[in-house]
Amino acid sequence: MRTLLILFSIIFSFSNLQASEVSEWFKKESNQFLEIINNNEGTENENYENYKYFINKNFAIKSIAYGLIGENIVNKSSKNELSLYLDVFTDYLIKTIYKLANSNSSSSIILKDVDIKDNIFIVKSIISDKKSSANLYWKVIDTGSSFKIIDVIVENTSYFVTKKSEFNKILRKNRGSLEALIIEIQKI
Amino acid sequence: MQKHLKVILLIISVTFLQIPLSYSNEEETVSGISYDEIYDPIEPINRAILNFNFFIDDIAIRPIVKTYKFIAPEPVEKGVSNFFSNLKEPIRSVSFIFQGEFYKSLNSLGRFTINTITSIGTIDVASRVGMEKNETDFGITLAKGGVSSGPYIIVPIIGPSNLRDFSGDVVEYFVDPISNSVPNRGYVAIGNGLNERVEVDDQLDKVRGASSDRYEMIKSIYYQNRNAQLEEEYIQNLPVPKIYIE
Repeated sequence: MRTLLILFSIIFSFSNLQASEVSEWFKKESNQFLEIINNNEGTENENYENYKYFINKNFAIKSIAYGLIGENIVNKSSKNELSLYLDVFTDYLIKTIYKLANSNSSSSIILKDVDIKDNIFIVKSIISDKKSSANLYWKVIDTGSSFKIIDVIVENTSYFVTKKSEFNKILRKNRGSLEALIIEIQKI
Repeated sequence: MQKHLKVILLIISVTFLQIPLSYSNEEETVSGISYDEIYDPIEPINRAILNFNFFIDDIAIRPIVKTYKFIAPEPVEKGVSNFFSNLKEPIRSVSFIFQGEFYKSLNSLGRFTINTITSIGTIDVASRVGMEKNETDFGITLAKGGVSSGPYIIVPIIGPSNLRDFSGDVVEYFVDPISNSVPNRGYVAIGNGLNERVEVDDQLDKVRGASSDRYEMIKSIYYQNRNAQLEEEYIQNLPVPKIYIE
C-alpha cells in the first residue's frame, strides 16, 4: 500500500512538473506569436519569414503532414515523394496559418489551464483583442528535446480536423494520388 | 395556427423518417483511414448553392455588413447583437424544457426578463449577476433525443446546415413565442440573419483565402461546431495525428 502511494505521488508530481514546464514554454512562445501577429508592418516576405521561423521551431510538421494523408499513403509512397510532400506541406502550413492569423491584431494570450490526455498536453488559453476574445487551444507533445504543437483549435475549430477533411476529399477524388494532392496544395 | 402545426408535424416526420438513411458512412478511404464521413448525398447541388450564396454575399450582403461595421461604434454593434440574442431566450427556454434541463430553462427565462426590463435586451445585465447564457436550439434538442443529423445541406442565403438542424430552425421559426407575437416576423428574421452574418464576418473573410476547398472547409467547421455543442470533452476527444520522430 505504501509503495503504491509513493508510486502514485511520484507519478503525480512528475505530471505536475511536466505541466509547469509546458506552461513556461507556452508563455514564452505565445508571447513570440503575439509579437509576430502584431508586428505586421514589414513586407509580405518579411512577415512570411517570421511565421516560417515560428512554425518550423514549434510545430510537429512531419506528424501533422503524415497524419493528414494517413499511414497507408505514407507507407506506399517513396522517400522522394514524401520528402517533396513534406516541403510543400510546410509551405502550405505557414501560408494557411499566416492567412488565418495575420489580419488580427491581438493584444493578449492568457493561459487558462493545462490538461494531459494520452501524453498530449492540451493548453487552454484566451486570445483577445480590443473587440472580442476567443478560446485558443494548443495540443502539444513532448519530443524529449522540446515541445511541439500538433494541433491548434480556435473556439471549436481544429486545424488538423479541418485540413484532414480537405485532404481526404482531394485524395479520394484523385484515387489516393499524393502527387495530385501536392499539386492542389501548391495552389494556395 | 393549425396550418403551422401541419408544417411542423410534416418536418418532424420527414426528419424521423430519414433516420435509417442518415447514419454516417463509416468507410475505408483511399488514404486507408477509417473515418466518419459526413453524409453528403447532394454535394453537387450543395456546391452550386454555396457558390450562389457567396455570389449574393459578395454583391449584396457583404457590402452591407462591412458598411455597418465601419459606421456602427462598437457599443452599438454589441448592443444589437445582445438584442437579437435576447429575443432567442424564450425559445431557448422551450428547447431546454424538451431536453429536460429545467434549471437552464428557468435561467433563460430569467435572463430574458432581466435583460428586457433593464435594457430591452441590449445589455447583458443577467450575465453580470451570474446568470450566464447557455446556447441551445431545436436542432440540439432533436440530436439529444437521438435523431441523427441526416444529409448535409446548404440552404440558399442562410448557409450550412443538415436536415435535422434545418428542421429544428423551421420549427423554431413557427413556435418561437417572440416572433409569433410581433406583427411582421419576417423583419425580425432578416435582422437576426444579418446580425449572425456580422458575427461571423471575420471568420468568413479568413475562410475565403485559407483553403484549397472552401466547401469542405465550411462543412468541416460546421460539424465541428455542432459536435462541440453536443459532446462533453469535445476538445479532448478530437482526433490527433500519429506522432512521427521530427
